[in-house]
Amino acid sequence: MLLIATFITFWAAAEVTNPLDALATCATCDQSAYDRLIDLYELDKSVPERYVSWLGDFVSGDMGQATSQGERPVSEIFWERGLNTLYLAGPAFILLTILGTFAGVYSALRQYSAGDYAITGISYLGLAMPTFFFGLLLQVVFAIWVPKYLGFKPFWSSGMHTESPLQLLRSLVLPVTTLMFVLLAGDSRFIRAAVLDIKSADYIRTARAKGVSERKVITKHLFRNAMIPAITLWSLNAAALFGGSLITETIFSWPGFGRLLIDATFAGDLDLTMAIVFAITTLVVLFNLLADLLYGLVDPRIRYD
Amino acid sequence: MTDALTERPGDLDNEIEIVEDRLVNDMGLSDKPESLGRQAWERFRRHRLAILGMVLLIMLTLAFYIGPFFVAFEIEEINILDRSQGPSWKHPFGTDDLGRDLLARTLRGGQFSLRIALFTALLATTIGMIVGAVSGYFGSVIDGVLSFFVNVMLTIPVLLLLIIFGRQFGARPNTMAVLIGLTAWLRASRLVRAQVLQLKEMEFVQAARAAGAGAGRIISRHLLPNLVGILLVEITLLAGTAIILESTLSFLGLGVQPPDTTLGTLIAEGKGSLDVRPSRVLIPGGIVTIIILSINFVGDALRDAFDPKSGTE
Repeated sequence: MLLIATFITFWAAAEVTNPLDALATCATCDQSAYDRLIDLYELDKSVPERYVSWLGDFVSGDMGQATSQGERPVSEIFWERGLNTLYLAGPAFILLTILGTFAGVYSALRQYSAGDYAITGISYLGLAMPTFFFGLLLQVVFAIWVPKYLGFKPFWSSGMHTESPLQLLRSLVLPVTTLMFVLLAGDSRFIRAAVLDIKSADYIRTARAKGVSERKVITKHLFRNAMIPAITLWSLNAAALFGGSLITETIFSWPGFGRLLIDATFAGDLDLTMAIVFAITTLVVLFNLLADLLYGLVDPRIRYD
Repeated sequence: MTDALTERPGDLDNEIEIVEDRLVNDMGLSDKPESLGRQAWERFRRHRLAILGMVLLIMLTLAFYIGPFFVAFEIEEINILDRSQGPSWKHPFGTDDLGRDLLARTLRGGQFSLRIALFTALLATTIGMIVGAVSGYFGSVIDGVLSFFVNVMLTIPVLLLLIIFGRQFGARPNTMAVLIGLTAWLRASRLVRAQVLQLKEMEFVQAARAAGAGAGRIISRHLLPNLVGILLVEITLLAGTAIILESTLSFLGLGVQPPDTTLGTLIAEGKGSLDVRPSRVLIPGGIVTIIILSINFVGDALRDAFDPKSGTE
């Protein structure tokens, strides 16, 4: 499955990206430059052959050279940028899980209350707002309006500042919020529906009839069962966060995977493009698999043969 | 005697009421199910939003298509003297750095965004419908191959594919629509396949087969008409997705290129002057959000209307 998925992306990238384009505008390059690139990417061979040879190198740790980044080995840039993306995706994932669950459960238990309406309204807005627009909106508010009218700048609106933990935190707030927002809207809706579904189940009524305290009904009976579908949701979220980081990183000039990928496709840097595409596709497939496995683990009624 | 006879039913009623009251109040069975009124109110509320969404969509469409006749400027008309201005009476939305009127450009951008959305949704739903119906109806090897392909494609993040291909095909509105359409049909095909699998076992399909109808006729005359509701909902929701994808691609610089424009392209052009004139981003961005919000409201209500069991709440 994974092999086919990465082959399709490799094929797509190979069809569209022509590293030779970059040389067309280069006046000082002679035939040897062409030959070097053809040799580097094995352009004279067929796509499946190139894929096998690329995959072989990749698995043995040789990710090739990044022609758009001064010929540095891809692996070096790869881990460096990947770690930066993790700085965004990690906190976003933790916050997303906590806030999404809280908002969903709260709004289901207090159905039709003012809080429920507020959460529902915000999540509708979140689902309708493209990520990049929300990010730009945050920039307008926190980087332009707040400094203009209040006279100070609470958060960095661009780049990654690593001088001190506090600076890192200041530069993380806006991108993490952006990354989280759209998914948060979907999550809270999903968990709200799951809890509502269970709230009227017979065993909850039985528990109440037995005289179980309201607190225990919620924590032991309701919450636990509502978390079964939520586990799938979380695994899918982890995958979606890597996709979402493509856009968020562009808005906030964050030196991670996303920005790198877009630069690489523009530069026709095939090895770099493929390394990132491969990494993201692999993560998505693995998280999907994890979702399936966890699902069976949590709910013994589900069995895989 | 007569008194007793007429009184007894009343007593019984009373007694039942008392027992009920006791059950409800004293024995903790007060967790009453959602009342009909509440459910009706829920439906009403949602549909009212859907009507609001419809009205907003119609108004925006009219504005995008009729509006340009009332704007004194062409989308490509360059007025160097008026460049980079804020909103004024002459240019209600201001001008860009070449002095082009942003109201005219926003209306044109809206036209293209809506057109791409509609075209994409129709294309994706059509492909999904055909693949799903064939796969579900014929089963066995054909289904195996098609389903496997769909599942593999679903694991590849859409945005990745769009970024890879966007540079080559994203620049013109029509190729952009085809590109997004070709990546967005997977979910529709899974939906249709699941439905067809159920429907094909039903009596009316067997009757048609017994009467000698061929596969093509059964699919097009007997199966697909039963899916109209689902497909309509899918078209609506896909249109929303398409607008998000299109504007995202345009924002990344992989989308429709000037002088043509979409709302996403306008945002991308405006983000450079975010600190001076945020309205260049806020206006098209706000319009995109309103369009998608309206589409989602309409889509939810449609799903409710066609499939009350799905329970969107």
